Formats: sequence, C-alpha cells, structure tokens
Amino acid sequence: MIDIKNVSYSYNAEVTALKNINLHIDEGEAIALIGVNGSGKSTLMKLINGLIMAENGSYLFEGEEINNKNMQNEEFSKAFHKKVGFVFQNSDVQLFCSNVYDEIAFGPRQMGMNEEEVKKRVEDTLKLLKIDELRNRQPYHLSGGEKKKVSIASVVVLNPDVYIFDEPMNGLDPKTKRFLKEFMIAINNAEKTILCSTHDFEYVKGVFKRAIVFSGEHTIIRDGAYDKIMNDTAFLYTNNII
Amino acid sequence: MPEWLLKKDNYLPLKDKNAFINKSILSIFHVLTRFRQQAKHRTNKLEINALIKFISTLILIIFVSLTQSSTFVLIANVFMLMLINFLSINEIKYVLKVSSVVAIFTFIIFLPAIFLGYGNNTLMITLKVLVSVASVNILACTTEWNDLIISLKVFRVPDMFIFVLDITIKYIIILGEFSLNMVYALKLRSVGKNNNKSTALSGIVGTMFIKSKEMSEEMYGAMESRGFTGTYKVYKKFEFKLADYICIMFNIIFILIYFYFDRL
Repeated sequence: MIDIKNVSYSYNAEVTALKNINLHIDEGEAIALIGVNGSGKSTLMKLINGLIMAENGSYLFEGEEINNKNMQNEEFSKAFHKKVGFVFQNSDVQLFCSNVYDEIAFGPRQMGMNEEEVKKRVEDTLKLLKIDELRNRQPYHLSGGEKKKVSIASVVVLNPDVYIFDEPMNGLDPKTKRFLKEFMIAINNAEKTILCSTHDFEYVKGVFKRAIVFSGEHTIIRDGAYDKIMNDTAFLYTNNII
Repeated sequence: MPEWLLKKDNYLPLKDKNAFINKSILSIFHVLTRFRQQAKHRTNKLEINALIKFISTLILIIFVSLTQSSTFVLIANVFMLMLINFLSINEIKYVLKVSSVVAIFTFIIFLPAIFLGYGNNTLMITLKVLVSVASVNILACTTEWNDLIISLKVFRVPDMFIFVLDITIKYIIILGEFSLNMVYALKLRSVGKNNNKSTALSGIVGTMFIKSKEMSEEMYGAMESRGFTGTYKVYKKFEFKLADYICIMFNIIFILIYFYFDRL
C-alpha cells in the first residue's frame, strides 16, 4: 500500500529531517513510530500525508507516485487525501467550524452526500467516539480530551483507509487514553491501516504489531515486531526511548 | 462499528477551485521560512555588533539622503557592493532582488521627470533608494532580530517597548506555525467541493484570534507568577571588538567623504 524508497528530506535545505528512509507498509497494518524528539517521525507522517514532498527517493501510495506533479492535479490530490486521514498532535489546529456537528459534517458535505447521508455518518461517528452530547458545543471551548475525540471524529467520518496519529496520547487523561487505545484496536480490526507516533507505551499495549524506530540521526535503526522491540530494554535505553 | 466504516468508499472527488488553500500555505510557509532563517542562520561574518551595524546603516541612509553629489552616491553604491560580497549566495540573491525591485519601482515613478529634463536627478534618486534599501536588507540579513531590537535602547527607546517588540516577533512565529497547521488541516479535509470556503477561512481566523488571546493571557499569568510588576529592564551590553572599531573608522571616513564632495 505504502512504498517509500530512499527518501530524504531537509528543512530549508539545511536541517536534515529524514535520511535515506526505506519503508513498506501493507494494508491493515498497525505500526508504531518510535524515536526521540526531532528524529523525523512527524516529518515522515507529513510526507506520507502528502503535505511535504521528498527531496530524494520516491513515495508510492497504492502504486501511484506521490510527487508535486501528481499532487497539483486537484482530483488526484483530493482522492489521495480522502484515503489518508491525519490526526494532528495539537487538536486545536484541526477544528475550525462553529460547532461539533458542523466540524464532523465538513468532510461528508464536501463529498457531495445529501444532508440525510451526512446526518447518518455524523450521528454514527458521534456515537462511535462517544461524543453525542457535544454536538452543539463550540469546538474551541471543549476540554483537551473532547477536542481530541472531535478531531478524530472529523477524520473518521471521511472513512479513510489509512489513519495517521501524531502523538495522540499527549496531554490526555488516563480514561481518554484507554478509550483511544480501544478505538485504534477497533479501527484496525476493521482493516484500516494505522500509523502512530508515540512516547506513551503504557497505554498502547496491544494496538501495534510492528514498530519502526528512528534514531537521532534521522534514519530508521530498527523495524520489526512491536513486542519484541519493546522487550529489548537495552536497545530502547541506549537510544533514549525509555 | 458503523457499516460504512467497514467497507471502502467508492469516491470520485468533485471538481472545485481550492487554489486559495495552497496559496495560503505557500505564503505562510514563505514568511515562516524567512523568520526561521533570520533566527537560526543569520551570519555575522563581519563580527560587528548589532549596535554599530545599526548606527552605521542610519549614518549611511541619512548622509546618502542629504547629499547632492552624484559622486558620493556612487561611492556609497560601490561601498554597498563590497559589503554584499560578504553575504552568502542566498542572502545576496535576496538583497539584490528586494533592492532592485524597489529601485526599478522608484525609477518608473520618476520616469516623467526624465522627459522634463531632470534625468540626472531621477538617476540619483534611484541610486539613493537602491543603496538605502540594500543597506537595510544587509543589516536585516546579518543581524538577529533580538540584537537589533535591543540596539534601539541606545536611542532611548523605552525598555518596555523593546520587550513588546521582542515578544511580537516571537509570537509571529508561534502563531504563524499554528496557522500553517490549521491550513494544512483544512487542505487534508478538503476532499471535495466546498460551497462555503469563506466559512472555513473565517473559522481559521476566528480560532487564531481566540488562540492568540488565550496565549497572551497565559503569558501574562506566567509573567506575573515570575514576579513581573509592569517594568522591564534590558540588560544586554554590546562588546566592542577590533571589527567594530574598524567599522567606526569607516563611518568617519564616509562622513568625511560626504563633506569633501558635498560641502567643500
């Protein structure tokens, strides 16, 4: 599904963020991206989302190359964004509508669904995320956990094939973290691909089957079974992960 | 789990014009890149402190503005070309681009004067503008904002004003990054036809306003908790090295050249 070959990226042509990254992700995988701050996890997620383009190497999504030329094609770009959902680390940036209902309905309305279909999708999503009572609230005045759920709902409603979570557990209370863990397991069981960066290993047990570890030098230093990597305490300690 | 979530959507995007999102991303990204470059990569190859650079730039602009001698203006331009050589290629490109655009614009404005027989004056004003804009840009390329703002202190600008300027620049970057992420989020969710583009954009502007208000309140709270009582003192002192004294000497020579060509 996702093929990344020899990809490198640097900010302002001076600050290296990704160095020679090779990655293959199959449909339905649940992958944890692990690494120290500034190792390139967020940059890789932006790249997979098509927000930034690789300087070297290639990125293929379902066999189609994601590059500037293809992304300038509105239809291609929109179809791609529909398939890849991104949950930002800071939920505030993702919420810009006047109430929660409109926020979640933003995507389906763009997809040309009639108001009845939109309503069904939004109602289903509100129930799935257990935020039914927030429907008329203003997104900006919600608590951190509620904002996170609404921002996830705004992505879920588009029914993407790939979910990308940028440190989703940050700043959430234990109950919301547990909810989020169960939610990720549920969508993965529904054959959705999950890619998630995290430092919060305690709350993501049982979600991921595979882990990709980034070094401070912006390269992948390990790619393998999540449990095996998480049990290698010496490796995690040496690389400043625990 | 709802049924629609268990199967793939057979979706073909509807046609719509969304160029404004990409344009917004590009323009915010451009501004942020410039601020970041200025914050991180400003070179000080001449190792002259910000205060001397600031005063030298002022002297250059004032005397170039006052002069009626085209020789003096030419000398100032040659001097500026020499200074540009110390910059990196990207900085040279930026300085030349900005200065040339402003100079060409000035020339176009004064174009009618050429037909009225004031060709020399037109050329001189254009060159004056070119050298002044180039000098300010060289100053901006080689000096950090913080140092530049603090150097205002020598002109008796109140410390509180300096503090406000300093904080403003910091928050332009923070809010700029926030707004960039908001436009990114809008782009990612704009998967079809949006009939209410203005609503989405006004939502972003509104959120930005609330966010900035919240951040200012948080910052005031943090300042109060650290004992802020409404007064602020800038403690930075500029060190003077050999390069600074050489620069002062050049300034004196520059002023003497002005008097030689213009007043004697």
